[in-house]
Amino acid sequence: MSREEIIARLKTILLDTDERSAAALDACGEDAELTTDLGLNSVGMLFMVISIEESFGVVFENVAIGDFVTVRDVVDYLETRLKETGAL
Amino acid sequence: MKTPSREIWRKYTEAETFDRIVGFDSVAQMWSVRSKEFADSTAIVDQGESVSYSALDAEVARFRSRLGADMAKGTCVGLLIPNSLAFVRAFLAVVTLGGTAVILPAHLDEKAVFGCCMKFGIRKLVCVPETEERTAFAAGRVPGLEVIPAGDLPDTAAPAAEVGGSDPCVIMFTGGTTGKSKGCLLSNTAVMQGTVNGCYGYAEVFEQRYLLILPLSHVFGLIRNLLTSLYTGSALFICRNNKDMFRDIAVFRPTVLVMVPALAEMALSLSKKFGRNMLGEDLKTIICGAAPVAPYLVAAYKEIGIDLFPGYGLTESANLVSGNPESLRLPESVGIMYPDQEYRIEDGELWLKGLNMFDGYIGEEEESRTEGWFRTGDLVRVDEEGFLYITGRIKEIIVLPSGENVSPAEVEAHFNALDCVQDSQVFEAENDNGSVILALEVVPRMTALTAVPPEEVHSFVRGELEKVNRALPSFQQVSRIVIRDRDFDRTPSMKIARYKK
Repeated sequence: MSREEIIARLKTILLDTDERSAAALDACGEDAELTTDLGLNSVGMLFMVISIEESFGVVFENVAIGDFVTVRDVVDYLETRLKETGAL
Repeated sequence: MKTPSREIWRKYTEAETFDRIVGFDSVAQMWSVRSKEFADSTAIVDQGESVSYSALDAEVARFRSRLGADMAKGTCVGLLIPNSLAFVRAFLAVVTLGGTAVILPAHLDEKAVFGCCMKFGIRKLVCVPETEERTAFAAGRVPGLEVIPAGDLPDTAAPAAEVGGSDPCVIMFTGGTTGKSKGCLLSNTAVMQGTVNGCYGYAEVFEQRYLLILPLSHVFGLIRNLLTSLYTGSALFICRNNKDMFRDIAVFRPTVLVMVPALAEMALSLSKKFGRNMLGEDLKTIICGAAPVAPYLVAAYKEIGIDLFPGYGLTESANLVSGNPESLRLPESVGIMYPDQEYRIEDGELWLKGLNMFDGYIGEEEESRTEGWFRTGDLVRVDEEGFLYITGRIKEIIVLPSGENVSPAEVEAHFNALDCVQDSQVFEAENDNGSVILALEVVPRMTALTAVPPEEVHSFVRGELEKVNRALPSFQQVSRIVIRDRDFDRTPSMKIARYKK
């Protein structure tokens, strides 16, 4: 799975939390901040993480949700986890 | 006017079960009875460790010994412990020894911990390894403060003390009605009243399986989730991280969940997205409160065989004021008011008295009581059947769908501390999907920005605000920032005219 594919799947998840956040992701790219640019509140962040775990079949370990500031942080972490699990 | 007697609740529960719902003067008395009655049943499951009621009682006795069997009644003992078996053990040890448990939110920084120790007269501070570092600042500055690791269990046991209903039990944090954080003192009578109220209005009460998702520093978590679970001989599975809640549900198969509306909505959305009931087939009951419950949730959950009961409560009322046993018929109501309260409605605002009410705020002037009545700050109406409806709010506090109370003034203070900020306003807004978020509007202090090119002022100020925002606890972080070009509208007294929802 390429980085672009990860971002595309992440976007479908964000669409389920807030349509505005998916549009903001298009506008800001990977530097978009999850809270102030994408407008995610604490429950939105939780929804995103649980959805990622379900969709990608990975478990977020040794990391707090608050550690993710930008979309890039999430994608970097996902890339690392997918490589570790052999899915990438 | 008095609220209905407990008999009004009888029809919702089988007679034999209903008659088991009895009062206790204190948490110590309740624990003495229940720890023996359910001795062999599982009390707590935490990180794979399952502890029976009798085993937990033995651990509690050992921790009482660590606290000191001669600890004076009413001694304030701070608990800086996230949700865990260690919290439950320490809490029960403190209150069965006649102490007052000061529940410190586990995210507090070291200076806030120090401030709480001074303000509440904390003499002993119980911590776990992950919070121990944040006790050092207070330990070095508060004379006589003893820091006690929660895992420090001596071989000796100390007996419980005689604890009465009027003895103080717990100090909880609340935004109160003015939006400023306060320590709210609840007596043993109030805490037990809240605990027992949690048993009314549904069929399956005793020996259930509960999952703990809410923080125990929130009254809904402490009283309705932990204490009602222990009172009913139920097993409580502690979910350490909310992101793992559905994995924990699959393992533990809870029958009752105590949730805030935002999580209930999220669970529904995820169930829909992934095509299966994420809450498991064993779940029968959701107790939903701490924030307004969207009426559609009741019907949506009924479709998958789960009864969702909205309720209404406050920290000052030991959590539970009312619960709705007829949520399917009247989904917009927060229910019938529980027994042993009195209420009146003044200019639409609910005023309360009763056994479940708090004893006061610690070290604060009492601004929210009139002639013994607590003014809730909530606007209500009561229908001809006695069902309560919340129609609005006059207090400044923001209650998020996650149940967390946010004081706008407290959050604004962090942003206002920046040189480049002249004034700010934090308020409740909605995103495009209708979810409630925190928003921030800021008026820049242009005199502090003369070195910044005019076209870069907004981006500079935004950058500074984002740095501050990231350092805040997640529930206080704003999700939208607007930099204003002109000042806020002002009231005649020149205060910011606050946005009303």
